Amino acid sequence: MATTASFIIVSRNDIPIYEAEVGSATKREDAAQLHQFVLHAALDIVQDLAWTTSAMFLKNIDRFNDLVVSVYVTAGHTRLMLLHDSRNDDGIKSFFQEVHELYIKVLLNPLYLPGARIASSHFDTKVRALARKYL
Amino acid sequence: MEPDVSIETSCMIRIAVLPVGTVPASVLRDYFSMFLRHHTIPLAAISSFYTEHQKSPFAHQPWDAGSIRFKFLLGGAPPSPWEDFQSNRKILAVIGICHCPSTPDLDSAVEQFTAACKNYSSALVQRCFAFCPCDSQLEDGGKKEDVLRLFPPADHQTLDIHLQTMMQEIAASLLMDFEKWVLKAESAGTILKTPLDSQASLSSEEVLKAKKRRLGRAQKTIGDYCLLAGSPVDASAHYSTALELARLTGDFFWYAGALEGSVCALLMDRVGHVDVVLEDEVKYQYNNVILHYRKSFIQDNAQRVSPLSFELEATLKLARFLCSGTDDTAFKSSYLCRSKLSKDVVELLTNAADGGKSLIDVNDRLVLFVEIARLFGTLGYQRKAAFFSRQVAQLYLQQDNKFAATSAMQVLAMTTKAYRVQSKASVSDPPCTKKQTGPSHTDSGKMHHHLIVSLFESQWSTLQMVVLREILLSAVRAGDPLTAWSAAARLLRQYYPLITPAGQNGLASALNNSAERLPSGTRSADPALPFVRLHSFPLHPSQMDIIKRSPAREDWWAGSAPSGPFIYTPFSKGEPNDNSKQELVWIVGEPVQVLVELANPCAFDLRVDSMYLTVHSGSFDAFPISVDLPPNSSKVITLSGIPTSVGPITIPGCTVHCFGVITEHHFRDVDNLLLGAAQGLVLSDPFRSCGSAKLRNLSVPSISVVPPLPLLVSHVVGGDGAIILYEGEIRDIWISLANAGTVPVEQAHISLSGKNQDSIISIPYETLKSVLPLKPGAEVILPLTLKAWQLGPMDFEIGGGRAATSGSTGRQFKNASVPTLLIHYAGPSTDSEDATIAKVSNLPPGRRLVLPLHVCVLPGMSLVKARLLSMEIPAHIGDGHPKPVHEEEDPASETVEESDRKMEKRLVKIDPYRGSWGLRFLELELSNPTDVVFEIGVSVQLDGTDDNNLPIDQDGNSEYGYPKTRIDRDYSARVLIPLEHFKLPVLDDSFFMREFCNEGSTSSSRSPSFSEKNTKAELNASIKSLISRIKVRWQSGRNSSGELNIKDAVHTALQTSVMDVLLPDPLTFGFRLTRDNSSPQQESGSKDSVLANDMAPMEVLVRNNTKEMIKMSLGISCRDVAGENCIEGGKSTVLWAGVLNGITMEVPPLQESKHSFSLYFLVPGEYTLVAAAVIEDANDVLRARAKTDSPDEPIYCRGPPFHVRVLGTA
Repeated sequence: MATTASFIIVSRNDIPIYEAEVGSATKREDAAQLHQFVLHAALDIVQDLAWTTSAMFLKNIDRFNDLVVSVYVTAGHTRLMLLHDSRNDDGIKSFFQEVHELYIKVLLNPLYLPGARIASSHFDTKVRALARKYL
Repeated sequence: MEPDVSIETSCMIRIAVLPVGTVPASVLRDYFSMFLRHHTIPLAAISSFYTEHQKSPFAHQPWDAGSIRFKFLLGGAPPSPWEDFQSNRKILAVIGICHCPSTPDLDSAVEQFTAACKNYSSALVQRCFAFCPCDSQLEDGGKKEDVLRLFPPADHQTLDIHLQTMMQEIAASLLMDFEKWVLKAESAGTILKTPLDSQASLSSEEVLKAKKRRLGRAQKTIGDYCLLAGSPVDASAHYSTALELARLTGDFFWYAGALEGSVCALLMDRVGHVDVVLEDEVKYQYNNVILHYRKSFIQDNAQRVSPLSFELEATLKLARFLCSGTDDTAFKSSYLCRSKLSKDVVELLTNAADGGKSLIDVNDRLVLFVEIARLFGTLGYQRKAAFFSRQVAQLYLQQDNKFAATSAMQVLAMTTKAYRVQSKASVSDPPCTKKQTGPSHTDSGKMHHHLIVSLFESQWSTLQMVVLREILLSAVRAGDPLTAWSAAARLLRQYYPLITPAGQNGLASALNNSAERLPSGTRSADPALPFVRLHSFPLHPSQMDIIKRSPAREDWWAGSAPSGPFIYTPFSKGEPNDNSKQELVWIVGEPVQVLVELANPCAFDLRVDSMYLTVHSGSFDAFPISVDLPPNSSKVITLSGIPTSVGPITIPGCTVHCFGVITEHHFRDVDNLLLGAAQGLVLSDPFRSCGSAKLRNLSVPSISVVPPLPLLVSHVVGGDGAIILYEGEIRDIWISLANAGTVPVEQAHISLSGKNQDSIISIPYETLKSVLPLKPGAEVILPLTLKAWQLGPMDFEIGGGRAATSGSTGRQFKNASVPTLLIHYAGPSTDSEDATIAKVSNLPPGRRLVLPLHVCVLPGMSLVKARLLSMEIPAHIGDGHPKPVHEEEDPASETVEESDRKMEKRLVKIDPYRGSWGLRFLELELSNPTDVVFEIGVSVQLDGTDDNNLPIDQDGNSEYGYPKTRIDRDYSARVLIPLEHFKLPVLDDSFFMREFCNEGSTSSSRSPSFSEKNTKAELNASIKSLISRIKVRWQSGRNSSGELNIKDAVHTALQTSVMDVLLPDPLTFGFRLTRDNSSPQQESGSKDSVLANDMAPMEVLVRNNTKEMIKMSLGISCRDVAGENCIEGGKSTVLWAGVLNGITMEVPPLQESKHSFSLYFLVPGEYTLVAAAVIEDANDVLRARAKTDSPDEPIYCRGPPFHVRVLGTA
């Protein structure tokens, strides 16, 4: 079954620093835009919700039509956001945890300015591999 | 679906407000706003209009506290199919608005109104209000009292009171009508149907159920009317009955409706006292309502009608209630509660949005999304609100008409803030973040990272592009060219890297198309292309440099230019461009230039129609220029203008007329953009992508404009081209200075700077002083004498290389070896007429004219080698020579050599009697590598002025001239210069110890540390003075003449033997014959010969050249041709009388002593007499002269050999 998923990392300044369409469904441009719009709007929900819980993984916090948004908030308030239509919560959680580790590795790069776009192709490859594995 | 629903909607009476006749839109809006103020009429106020015809069904009407609410619908609304279900959906009253001045015929107005009322069958009250009637209309209208209500012309406030009264009257009549209706309904019972009810007739067993159901529905409707009449308690009673019946009959839809009504009644009853318990109750009840609406969903007619919209409306009502309730009490404003509430609201709204999918009517969905967006906005979720606004806009865009497009455009414009793509026009005040970061940017040049980030917050480029594109699309459809232009400009400027070249072209044509529909000269707040950044402020050209004058100093220019021995000093200003504290001074009326860099990173040709600097103060006349930028290119252009008034000036950016619209480009925005690009926050640096080099951060200097200053312009008379000189050439040039300013020059001063300053021999200080003040337009010509400098080895190579390729000589100036004339000048120091200006700026600045003398030095005559040659010619002994000392007038200053020199006059002659023992020449080997002929003349300058015979030059020094030597091209020649003239007259310690010279006493105790070093320094000094007196001048052609620089060569040539050249021996010896003048033979015979076999009386003259007495032991020897000693020895051929050896003599200082003796030559021939002496008790001076090593070493002095020719007697 083709799944739709869009993954995005939003810095604490609400700037998207990494974007990837990781679903297996055929990509349509306007769909990708809609995904971004939904994710962008979901930030409002995350903003309130993140402070009410100590959990990092906030599952299914927002939805639009059949698209669901799950978010993983790091301690530095960087948000890993996934827009998905599948309900594989465990997989999503593992995906987030592994991407979080990857993100920390990027952060440890002394040449990377926190808040800047992640341009590393290695990171991109890894994220896509994780997406295939878990989602 | 209806917009703007809330729980309280159920208790509002709908009144259609219709314009009657012609009512201008603005007037209509004005009247309507008056109505809106009277949306709530207290029951207490209407009692005067209320008459109780029969017993009121509203038993619990709260006459003291209750009120009747109106909801005005401008233009009315079509009847709803759900009117029966919710009575508040009925239009219960119609009010016409007639504007009498525009509708003269009241009759037709009344007709029109009556016709309009026919559409509103449910309306219980109809009134037509006519405003501002004239007198005739007043009379006329009085007859139609029943329908038409005339409002006498009055001010706004009075009108308002009239209207209030009218509304109270309407409220009262409505209330009475409600009573009638309720009484009728209770008694008769009405059939109440909704579109939901199945069309099929009820089966027989359901008849009983249907009757109950009908009763329940009637109770619900009565409850509705109770609510409308402002009696919640009555309403509650009816609703509870209705609920009971509806539950029994399974009429879920009506159950939900009744429940909704009862909640409304509850709220109305408790108006103003909302607390947590009530809130929970409402929440519970409404969730119930939603549930029952959902239950009422019947699959049969789902295609046709659906209670879904009621479910969604209920959801929205609850959400709105929760939203508006949040800040009612202090408890609710606490954070946790708020977040819990907002969570509930979000849940509700998300569900509503989900439900929107199933809505059949597009308009319903539109309303739903609008409401969701509004509620999210109320909640403070701007991004959510923007998201649903965009959904609304998309729904609008699906409708293909102009009004929908306009709506879409307006809705999208509201989202731009959340997506951070808003037009600058909508941001009246620049965000404070920018204001804060602005100064820090200029201060430190390096902003903190988080501050930069804040500038680029929410860079969701994909979303932003989509939104902008939709705005563009909707604006094009709606026919709003300016909005379209602005959107396209933002899209192109910010996201060009993400747009394909074709897309960029499309946007460019969209810009052009929009501009065609705009009037020319339209301004837009959003700049399009190109990117403009400040490149640099060119400093004043060196001709116009401005120097600050310090009033305290006479030489105000001093210190303005870096001085001192160092090229770079820590105190100097550094490079002019990167200094952040840089201040620029502009002058009123003098054009200034600012360099800006333009970039066009897009794939189309960009034409900037005009572009000029923006100065908001208006004290600047900017000159527009037009530029063409090819695709993907950048260009540095010069923008210029003229300041027109004194004071500080700021240049925030420039105004660009491009794509048919005038926009303002701020430099700061681009700076921020570049900063973001450097941090990886922005997509691309437009300048770098165009291949432009990275420019360091340039801050805008503070610019101040000062009153007019004088302005000197200069040119070299006879052409401003390079002056080509051969090395050492001396030439006069004339420089013309003219005052091109409007203020006279009152002070001026010339100074030199740069390399080779000494090549300017004379500077006309006085000429310049004499012409001051130099009036505007006046001109002065300054003569200047130049002497070309010597080319160094480096210069020679560069110069030679350059000279070979003709025409490249101009570049040679840039190697900065040319001297520069600095002329500091200033206008009047204080402007006495204009005291205010003098106060403000205490002293107008002065200026500096930098005038590099474009001199190109070509290699000319060159010195190949300088050598010191010595020549020895023995002297002949005679009675006249050397000349006796007593002939001289001043023996102290005259020496033998000097007397010789006097004889020689100008030419060197070898005196056969004096000989030239130790005569030294300086041989200069000169070559002429050029292609012209040089003539060389050597002259020796002497400092003695007492020689009247000698030619005296201007300096008061006498000179010797030598015949000229001609050197042809590519030839070399040698010139001999005798150095005999430089011998010092006296050997004393003054030569070695100049510092003791002043004391004048040679006998003073000599410093024991007579160091070598000192000697060396003194030697060098004396060599220098010697060299400076020898001048080798050359002439070539008619007007080229100069002097050869031989100093260094001579210096090295003389270095080793300068002592011998300069210093006389301590003792000089001379021989002469002392024969009787009476003897005839001798007179007839050769004067300078001696006869053999004859006694030859002789004298040896010993002269002491020092200033001290010298004791010595003198000896005389005589040798024959073979060099054999012929006085002593076995076969001596000379006999003698007197003492010849070991003669002890004491010679007083600067005196001569004689010693007489006689010789008797036995054999004719040539003999040589030599005198020698051993100096006893030699002092340091003598030792130094003799270069002895140890103090014990005896010092020998040997005189030159003297020849004696002995003639035979035969």
